[in-house]
Amino acid sequence: MKVLTGIITSLKGEQLLVLDNGKPVLIKTGDHPEKMFGNYSILKQHPVRINDETIKGPGVFKFRYGPVTAGVREAGCFYLYTYGEKILRATIDISWKQREIAKAMQGRSPEKALALAEGVSSNFALSHSVAFSRAVEMALQQTPSLLTKNWRILFLESERIYNHLYVIYKLSSAAAQKVLAAHVSALFEKALRLNEKLTGSRYLMGINSTGRLLHAPDVAAVEQIANQYADMARQFTELYKHSLKNFNYLDRLHSAGTLSPEQAIKLGLTGPTLRACGVKDDLNDATEHLISLPVITQKEGDALARMEVRAEEIVNSCHYLVNHLRASDSWYDAKEKENIPQQAEGTGYAVVNSPSGALGYYVEIKENKMQRVEIFTPSYVGMHAVSHALEGLIFTDFPFAFESFGVHFADAAI
Amino acid sequence: MTRWWPIYGLKKKLTEQKEYVSPVGLTKPKTRIFNRSLFVYVIDVGSSNALNFEISALESPQYNIHRFGIFMTDSPRHADVLLILGRPVTQMLGPLKETIAQLPEPFYTITIDDHPDQPGLNDYPELPHHMAALTGIPSPSEILGLLLDIAKTKRMKS
Repeated sequence: MKVLTGIITSLKGEQLLVLDNGKPVLIKTGDHPEKMFGNYSILKQHPVRINDETIKGPGVFKFRYGPVTAGVREAGCFYLYTYGEKILRATIDISWKQREIAKAMQGRSPEKALALAEGVSSNFALSHSVAFSRAVEMALQQTPSLLTKNWRILFLESERIYNHLYVIYKLSSAAAQKVLAAHVSALFEKALRLNEKLTGSRYLMGINSTGRLLHAPDVAAVEQIANQYADMARQFTELYKHSLKNFNYLDRLHSAGTLSPEQAIKLGLTGPTLRACGVKDDLNDATEHLISLPVITQKEGDALARMEVRAEEIVNSCHYLVNHLRASDSWYDAKEKENIPQQAEGTGYAVVNSPSGALGYYVEIKENKMQRVEIFTPSYVGMHAVSHALEGLIFTDFPFAFESFGVHFADAAI
Repeated sequence: MTRWWPIYGLKKKLTEQKEYVSPVGLTKPKTRIFNRSLFVYVIDVGSSNALNFEISALESPQYNIHRFGIFMTDSPRHADVLLILGRPVTQMLGPLKETIAQLPEPFYTITIDDHPDQPGLNDYPELPHHMAALTGIPSPSEILGLLLDIAKTKRMKS
């Protein structure tokens, strides 16, 4: 399976960052790339107003939802076309969160630029950090040690757990499932505390760097943390099974924000959103897991299917962490500090399996300064999917459709 | 055995009894106005999203902010405190000023600048009744400590 992740345009021509069976490759744009990749024109034009086409008709009007609203707390804006019952079209404006971080990285050293990468969307801080550092390592021909590689994978799974818990908390809250929402939010807070215990940061920031980890995780606490992840898996499984017997909850999510597999592939979606449509992607291969994790799929492509995919991934990631945290003391690498860049300039790219899909970086470095950085996030294509999924929905389904995609304005706007 | 939702987990004591300490002092004298309850409206003006997650974490049962009379409100017109997340991007300066204009007197504003070193963001405009300025990503405990300082609510000591 080939997925177009990003387009890099320069004076020399245009190149495509493609995820080919889970491996990122850079290819020259051939003839008619739009026929090969359905999302080519989206990525090429990169509009900040997504799906911005006016609808006219009897009684149809447009109203603005955002950028200041309690329903969607992030600074972003929806323009909803309706005649009063259904959403006929949803234009999403991501410009309210644009901070031009990629531009701000230029001229900085890789280490300083990495701190900015972590601030793009801090709930995906580790995914951004790992994708950026892998791209830099490729450019500077630096090979991180086994210790660094293995810990990065574990941190990525920690990030997946708390992000998925957050999405399920938001969905259950929107469906007025107060008991479920309270228990899932308690697990969400617990996951953030485990991150802090392991790395010193609730959002896994400041531990990863280019070529190495900035500091070793707290090995003394590892056994205790592993036990707590085992406990979390047990508690979440119990909650999840219980929630699947609650038809009030399931009915709210069922058939809300449905995407067909064809639509998902055309938009270039990856991660839980694509897998919820029944498409088995190869994104796990981009993460070099110690053992391959099962790829969870569902068929319906609606908010319920996306929730189910995330729920099962939480349990899998917890078990993965339990097993590998306990083995982490054998990863000590005496050559960790000998790992230095082989050159001061080059070009690199990388893609990681973030909680919401493929997240890619393309970097150009000269004299150890960032010359160019391109960031390709799952939330940008995800916002296009949200916009399409909202069409035809009644207004009360809005939060299920939006929250189930796990997309964020900070990640989409950059 | 299937249990009815309201009974599920009834025996689990998730709420913690802790002392919550604010990382910063208040820039204005403490007030008694909000002794009984404090309604907080959150506005994101350019944060990296971690602060939005921290506000969600603050609403988790471990903190149980309602026991202190602290509530998140859905409208600035019902708010006693405006919690401003991040440093403003240019586009959000207008909506921020408009939101402040909607707050009923008396009110306070609090700012949290999650990435002080990040270029491209604006300085805060002049904020009325600016009670506290935090930097970095404060934990929910710290945010709660600050809100409690404003509310002057009696703290539970462990």
